[in-house]
Amino acid sequence: MKIRTLIGAALGLGLLASAAQAQTTLRIAMTAADIPRTLGQPDQGFEGNRFTGLTMYDALTAWDLSSADKPSVLIPGLATEWAVDANDKTKWIFKLRSGVKFHDGSAFNADAVVWNVRKVLDREAPHFDASQVGVTASRMPTLRTARKIDDLTVELTTSEPDSFLPINLTNLFMASPAHWAAKLAAVPATVTEAPARAAAAWTAFAADASGTGPWKMVRFVPRERLELAKNDAYWNTARVPKIDRMVLLPIPDANARTAALLSNQVDWAEAPAPDAVPQIRSRGFQLFANQQPHVWPWQFSFVEGSPWLDKRVRQAANLCVNRTDMKQLLNGLMAEAVGSVPPGHPWWGNPDFKIGYRPDEARRMMTAAGHSAQRPLKVKIQVSASGSGQMLPLPMNEYLQQALRECFFDVELDVIEWNTLFTNWRIGAKDPTARGAHAVNITFAAMDPFFAFVRFVDSKMAPPVSNNWGFVNDPEFDRLVAAARTTFDAAARDTALAALHKRIVDETVFLWVAHDVGPRAMSPRVRGFVPPQSWFVDFSPITMN
Amino acid sequence: MLEYLLKRILYAVPIALGVSLVCFLLVHIAPGDPLVSVLPADASQEMQEQLRAAYGFDKPLPVQFGLWIWRALGGDLGFSIATGRPVAAEVWRAIGNTFMLAVFAAAFGFLLGAFLGFVAGYYRGTWVDRASSALAVAGISLPHYWLGMVLVIIFSVQLNWLPATGAGPGGSADWEWDWAHMRHLILPALTMSVIPLGIVARSVRALVSDILSQEFIDALRAKGLSERGIFLHILKNAAPTGLAVMGLQLGYLLGGSILIETVFAWPGSGFLLGNAILQRDLPLLQGNILVLAMFFVTLNLLVDLVQTWLDPRIKRG
Amino acid sequence: MSAASAALSSDAGQVPVASRGYWANVLRRLARDKVAMACLAVLVLILLAAIFAPLIAPGDPYRGSIIRRLRPIGTEGYPLGTDELGRDMLTRLIYGGRLSLFMGIVPVLNAFLIGTFLGVVAGYVGGKTNMAIMRTIDVFYAFPSVLLAIAISGALGAGIFNSIVSLTVVFIPPIARVAESVTTQVRNLDFVDAARASGAGALTIIRVHILGNVLGPVFVYATGLVSVSMILASGLSFLGLGTKPPEAEWGLMLNTLRTAIYVQPAVAALPGAMIFVTSICFNLFSDGLRSAMDVKL
Repeated sequence: MKIRTLIGAALGLGLLASAAQAQTTLRIAMTAADIPRTLGQPDQGFEGNRFTGLTMYDALTAWDLSSADKPSVLIPGLATEWAVDANDKTKWIFKLRSGVKFHDGSAFNADAVVWNVRKVLDREAPHFDASQVGVTASRMPTLRTARKIDDLTVELTTSEPDSFLPINLTNLFMASPAHWAAKLAAVPATVTEAPARAAAAWTAFAADASGTGPWKMVRFVPRERLELAKNDAYWNTARVPKIDRMVLLPIPDANARTAALLSNQVDWAEAPAPDAVPQIRSRGFQLFANQQPHVWPWQFSFVEGSPWLDKRVRQAANLCVNRTDMKQLLNGLMAEAVGSVPPGHPWWGNPDFKIGYRPDEARRMMTAAGHSAQRPLKVKIQVSASGSGQMLPLPMNEYLQQALRECFFDVELDVIEWNTLFTNWRIGAKDPTARGAHAVNITFAAMDPFFAFVRFVDSKMAPPVSNNWGFVNDPEFDRLVAAARTTFDAAARDTALAALHKRIVDETVFLWVAHDVGPRAMSPRVRGFVPPQSWFVDFSPITMN
Repeated sequence: MLEYLLKRILYAVPIALGVSLVCFLLVHIAPGDPLVSVLPADASQEMQEQLRAAYGFDKPLPVQFGLWIWRALGGDLGFSIATGRPVAAEVWRAIGNTFMLAVFAAAFGFLLGAFLGFVAGYYRGTWVDRASSALAVAGISLPHYWLGMVLVIIFSVQLNWLPATGAGPGGSADWEWDWAHMRHLILPALTMSVIPLGIVARSVRALVSDILSQEFIDALRAKGLSERGIFLHILKNAAPTGLAVMGLQLGYLLGGSILIETVFAWPGSGFLLGNAILQRDLPLLQGNILVLAMFFVTLNLLVDLVQTWLDPRIKRG
Repeated sequence: MSAASAALSSDAGQVPVASRGYWANVLRRLARDKVAMACLAVLVLILLAAIFAPLIAPGDPYRGSIIRRLRPIGTEGYPLGTDELGRDMLTRLIYGGRLSLFMGIVPVLNAFLIGTFLGVVAGYVGGKTNMAIMRTIDVFYAFPSVLLAIAISGALGAGIFNSIVSLTVVFIPPIARVAESVTTQVRNLDFVDAARASGAGALTIIRVHILGNVLGPVFVYATGLVSVSMILASGLSFLGLGTKPPEAEWGLMLNTLRTAIYVQPAVAALPGAMIFVTSICFNLFSDGLRSAMDVKL
C-alpha cells in the first residue's frame, strides 16, 4: 500500500458522496453468484434470462408478463406472425417486425435472424460461439437452420415436425451483427487465428452489448454490477421503461440479500430469507410472490432394482407429504404441487390420481407393497446444498426425510455439490456417479412442454441425450409426446399436452412437492410492479417514489 | 549476507514450482466433467471432443501442466469456462480488493494486538494481563464468519449505520477514498481483524514476557536504566519475531478471506474462489489458488529476509 | 507461526530426558493451573455428554415438528428452543458435540501420527531423505491453511471423509516441521551418541530416546491445533463443503440456522457459542499444558 493512497484515504474521509442524482435508479439484488452473461444468451438459468436476456434483448416470440392472475402466454416479439408450412411440417415462416433498431443504431432484419441462428447452430460460421451453445441448443433441440426469404421474412427449418418451436424461440435472443462486426474489427492485429479473434470479439461484445430490448447496457463491472439505462427508442412504445436506470447486483447469500434490503443498500431483493419475512413486512417493505411454472420434485429412477418401480410406493410417497406443513417451514413462500402444472392450467388434464396428504392411505399402500415400520424401505436421494431454483434444498429434504419415515421409508440423503448433481442429471441413474441413488432432487422450469414434460418421459430422451434420468421407458408416453409435437393448432396442441400430463401424474413419475413462488421483497418506494405467473418480470411499468 | 539472500531466493524457486504443481493437480482430482457449464444437455460425442480440444483438456496431464505454467509465466491464466473472460484479469482485480480489505484488517488487528500483547507481557500476572490474554484467546477461538453475521444484524439491519454488503455504492471499479466507500470496509475489516489480533497479541505477550524474564533486564534496571529505555530494549528485541508473525498473518488474511467475503459479498479473491468452486470453473479455480499461493510464498520470503536483516543471528540454512 | 519460532528455545540444549519425575512434575504444575483445570473440566463434560448422548439427551436429534419450529429458549419441553425443522436444540447440541469434536480431534490426531512419523524420520535419517520429505512438506506449508483446506475440499466435494482428508493435509506440515526440528536437535545430543556407540539400533534409539523427547512438544503443539481444526471444519460446513444434513454438527447447525437470525437470534447463536466455548477451552488447556511442560514453540 502506497503512503500516498493512505493519505488520500485520510483526506477522503472528510468528504461526503456527491449530490443526489436527479434520475431514478432501481437497485436489484439477484440470487446469482455472478452477473449472468450479457452477450445475448445468458447463463444462470432463467434468472439469467430475466435480468440480462429480456432486459437488453428481444426474441422472435415473447411471454405476456402483464397479468398477475392469468398464466403467462406466448405473444409476438420481434416476429409479428408465424406459421408452419402446410406441406412440409419442418419448415416455418416468420414475418419480422419492421423499423426495429439495435442499440447501436443498425437495423434488425432477416439477416440478423439468420446471423443469430448461426451463432449457436452453424459451426462453420465465423461468429460461431461454442460457449453459447450449451445454454441455447438444448432449449430449441429441433431447430436446425434459418434462411432469408426477404428483408422481413425468414424460413426456419427443424429436424422433425415440432409444434413447440415458437415457444422454444423465446430463448433465442437477437444480438446485433453490426455491433459484433465492429468489435471484431477492433480486435488487435496481434491476434491472428480466426477462432481466437471471434472469441475476443464476443468478450468485447459482452462488455458493451447491443440488442433491441427496452434496456441498454451502460456499465459492466464483472462479478459486481451491471447498470442498464432505459432505451427511449424502444420499438414497443408502451413498454419504454419509466425509470431511468437499473442496477443489478449478484448477492448469492439469502441473508446477505435480506440485510442489503433492510439496510437500504438495494431497493429490491430476489428470494429473501424466508425467516426474515416477518421482519421485512414489519419494517414496511413489500413482499411479492406468485406461483411460477417451476417444480420442486424428487425424480424417480426406473432402472432395475429401484424401489420406485412399484407404483404403490411412488404414490404412497406422494400421499405422505404434508405440503401445508412444509409451506409453513418456508413461511408461506411456496405453492403446494400436485402435478408438474397446477390445476386450471391448459395442460393440467385432470389426472385420476389425486395428490394430497393422506398418510393412512399411504401406509396401507406401503403395507400392501410389503413394507412396515420394522422393515422400512431404504431409498437414497441425491440432493444439493444449494443451486439455482432449488429453494431451500437442505431443510426441505430433511423435512421429507422426516415425513416419509411415518410411511415406512428410510431416506438417505446424498448431498453433493450442485454442479455435480446437475451433470449427473444427464448422465443418468445407471452411471456410477449416481452412486446408487434412487431419485434426484433437481428443480425444473415447466414453462415449455419440452422442458416440463417431454425430456423426462420420452424414452428417446434417456441419458446421455437429455434429462430422462431415471430411464422412463413406456410406449404410451412416447406416443403421447409424438402426438403433441405434431399437432400444430395451438388449442389442439394444448389438449394433447393435457393428456400427456394426466398420464405423468397417474403413472406418478415424480414426488411432487412444491412450486416456487418467486418471492421478492421491495422497498416501499418501488411502485407499479406486477408479479406475473412466470419466471420473468416486466421492468418497464415500474416507477420509483 | 548477499550469499544468504541469493540462497534464500533460489530456495523459493522449487517451492514455487511445487506449489504450482499442487494447484494444477488439485483441480484434476476433482470429480465431474470440467466442461459441465458449457456443454449442452444433448452434446454429441463429437462436440464434446471438440470443446475438450478447444480448452486443451485432451492433452496428457504433463503437457497440460507444462503449457499452463509456461503461459502463467507470461501472465496468461487461460479463460474462465463460465464467463469466457480471461482469468488473469479477474484474479488481479479480485486480489486488489482483498488486499485492500486485508491491509485494513491487518492494520487494526496488528496495532491493537501488539498493544494488548505488550501490556499483557509487561504487566505479567496482573489483571491487565488476564484481561488482555482473555481477549486474545477469544479472538482465536471465535468462528469469525459468525461474528460477521452478528455484526451485520446489529449495525446494518437494526441500527442502519453501516452497509451490509459490497465494496462501495458503485462497486469496486469506481472506488474512492471517501466516507461513502470506506464505510463499506468497516464491518468486513473489523471481522477479519479478530484472528490476527488474537495471534499477534499472544505472540507479543510471549516475546515481551520472555525478554523481561531474562536476567540482564534486572541488571539494566539495577544500573538505573529508565522504563523508557527498557521499553526500547524490549521493542528492539521483540521486533524481528513480532514482524515475522505479522507478515505471515497478512498472508493468511489474503489467502483465508473466503468466509468473510462470502458473508459480506466483498468482490475479492475469496468471493471469486467461492464462485469458482460453486460453478466448477476449473481454470478460474486453478489460477486463483495459484496466484494466492504465490503471493504467500513471496511474502514468506520477504518476511524471512526482513527478519534476517533486522536480526542477523537468526539466519537459517 | 514462523519457521524460526517453531524451533525450540535456548533451553532445548538441555531437553529434559523424559522420566517419571518429569511427568509427575508436569501433572502437579498442571493441577495447580486453575484456568487449565476448569477448561479440562468443561471439555470432559462436553466429551462425556457427546459420548453418552443417547442416554442424557432429552429428545431425538433427527425428529422434529414443523409446527413447533424456531421456538425460543425456555419453551416448555424445549429448554434451549427448537431449530428450523422443529427439532430440540438441547438434544442437537449434545449430539452435535460428537461430530464437532470428531472433526476437531481426528484430523489433528491423523496429522500428529503422520506428521510426527515424517518429521522424526526426516530428522533422524537426515541427508537426502530429510531433503525429500521436508521440501515436500514445505510445498504444502507454502499454502495459507484456510486456502489449502478449501481448495482440497472444493476439489474433492462435500462430506465428512473429504473434510477430514483436507484438514489432515493442512495440519501435517506444521507438525512435521516441529517434529523434525526437535528430532534434529535431540539426535546430536550426547546421550544419543552414547546409545549409538553402545550398539543400540536405530529403532531402539528412536523409540527410547527420540520419541520420548519429541512427543511432548509435538503433542502440546497439536493440542493447540484442535481448536483451529474445529473452526476450519465448521467453516467448511458453512460453505457447504463439510458435514451433510441431517447430521447434528455445530458448524452445519450454525449454517442452517443463520436465516433464523431474524426470528430467534438467541437460538441461532447457540451452535456458535458451543464452538466458541469448546475452542477457547482447548486453547486455554493447551496453554496450560505448554507452560506446565515448559515447552516453548
